[in-house]
Amino acid sequence: MAKATQLNTMGRKLLLEKADVEGIRFYDVYRREGGYRSVEKALKTMSPEEIVEEVKKSGLRGRGGAGFPAGMKWSFIAKPEGVPRHLVCNADESEPGTFKDRYLMEFIPHLLIEGLIVASYALGSHATYIYIRGEYAWIPEILEQAIAEAKANGFLGKNILGTGFDCEIYVQRGAGAYICGEETALIESLEGKRGNPRIKPPFPAIKGAWGRPTVVNNVETLAAVVPIINEGGDEYAKIGVGKSTGTKLISACGNINKPGVYEIDMTISVEEFIFSDEYCGGIANGKRLKACIPGGSSVPILPANLLLKTAKGETRYMNYESLSDGGFATGSMMGSGGFIVLDEDQCVVRNTYSLARFYRHESCGQCSPCREGTGWMEKLLLRLEKGEGKISDIDLLWDIQSKIEGNTICPLGDAASWPVAAAIRHFRDEFEWHVTHAAEAQKRNYGLAHYADPIHVPA
Amino acid sequence: MVQFSEENLAKVKEIIARYPEGKQKSALLPLLHLAQDNFGGWLSAETMDYVASLLQIEPIEVYEVATFYSMYNTKPVGRYVFEVCQTGPCMLNGSDNIIEYISKTLSIQPGETTADGLFTLKTAECLGACGYAPMMQLGKHYREHLTKEKVDAIIAECRSAAAANN
Repeated sequence: MAKATQLNTMGRKLLLEKADVEGIRFYDVYRREGGYRSVEKALKTMSPEEIVEEVKKSGLRGRGGAGFPAGMKWSFIAKPEGVPRHLVCNADESEPGTFKDRYLMEFIPHLLIEGLIVASYALGSHATYIYIRGEYAWIPEILEQAIAEAKANGFLGKNILGTGFDCEIYVQRGAGAYICGEETALIESLEGKRGNPRIKPPFPAIKGAWGRPTVVNNVETLAAVVPIINEGGDEYAKIGVGKSTGTKLISACGNINKPGVYEIDMTISVEEFIFSDEYCGGIANGKRLKACIPGGSSVPILPANLLLKTAKGETRYMNYESLSDGGFATGSMMGSGGFIVLDEDQCVVRNTYSLARFYRHESCGQCSPCREGTGWMEKLLLRLEKGEGKISDIDLLWDIQSKIEGNTICPLGDAASWPVAAAIRHFRDEFEWHVTHAAEAQKRNYGLAHYADPIHVPA
Repeated sequence: MVQFSEENLAKVKEIIARYPEGKQKSALLPLLHLAQDNFGGWLSAETMDYVASLLQIEPIEVYEVATFYSMYNTKPVGRYVFEVCQTGPCMLNGSDNIIEYISKTLSIQPGETTADGLFTLKTAECLGACGYAPMMQLGKHYREHLTKEKVDAIIAECRSAAAANN
């Protein structure tokens, strides 16, 4: 591996800039640092439509994983006469590798509350809900305190800032179900039911919570509304590149020196992100990079060579377009920003098995391709991992994943298929080695092999 | 008989009021958390029936929800439940060794409870602490960057807390 370039980009920070300020968790400090300005600006000087317009101009894409333009999503909300509308914040962060929303809620909760108030005003939500994964059991208190402080200072409740706008924010804990991160499953869960995704259409924007028009947005998406309103959509759109505007939180983990949550401006290269001291600080224990899942466990895993360069031999960057360059054949996805790094001593078969077990556990069981297929894939992968598999199992795995993908009500089926498909696509020799060298595979790992070799680019 | 305290009944009322009129079923997940916390760390049929009565819904509506979500225990558990994450990023950082170590130290397999009723070991799927792996959930909080020494210290801490509260 070539020595990392030590570029000091000093990327702009919009969300976590103040996260380290002493006492920023509390209203007084947050307000002193300029907090809640966007609420004043939005509610006193802008119409809801103007806010939606600013968010559209900003180019902000949903930060939960799908990357759908947030302003467009907002513009879809139906406004039938006399029917209440709701904003629901998706804080059900459960995609393996992803822990950015937790960081934001724990350390700078008022930023989320501020974004929620502005978004609630834009969408006409008088009762807004934060649905947070149940395991983050200590965070609801932090959020509820922030809500109480905002309310005590006139930013929530009746007649906010004397503008006549009323809004309450409630926190609801989930209870351990990855599927509730899917927006219609989340709505079902909010209604006190099992988290079974709904068939769409109707989309939540037409019929969501309690049959009412509903918008569900990720925590980070809603927090990003604050700088968008403060600085204007056009200014926000100047940060980043192409359709990857603004900043993105990346939660980095796996075999790196400095795991943690980083805010990037989407113009840095993957290589810099992994190797510079400002971010991941390189691979832990002096080892070499083998592979990476750059956007949460569902997105395709890439070997080191395809991670750092695209198939065309160009530098790969940490943004939506560059990470997906080459499609699934040679690229991956930005996803939720859960960045999982594997060093040379990790086993791709074992990692794939671990993820397959996760998806089997989290399948809601509604659609047979997912319910049956995830369990089948897990069994086959365990067999291969234990050195008891056959070459035909690898083909069977490919066949199963291809039959789950696209054949389920919600994207969990796709999310379970992609990691298996990508692992076989790029690491087939490692899977085969587990069959042809079954005994050896129980004693050592396949290693780096040729996964970091330079890419051959046809002239 | 299963019965919330006056204070918790007020809390129940406050929770139900968060949702639209007539949609009190929405309070089910929060109420099950409250019930589990107050009635021995698990949800018996009696507890679930009680929650159903509070929300004026059928007991089956509670059972089907309680069995869907992994955080609700439908069987008794130990006083301290170690829920160790074993998914991808934690696995890359040695969660299997931690699970094995706890299993050996407490002489129980994942899913089992020690004979003295003090500890239950469970494996968990991604808890959103991937950067602080390996880790486990213990009650309301996470214990992160686990090592064998840390596990020993946590077990000792639980034992002395239990002794102090008996």
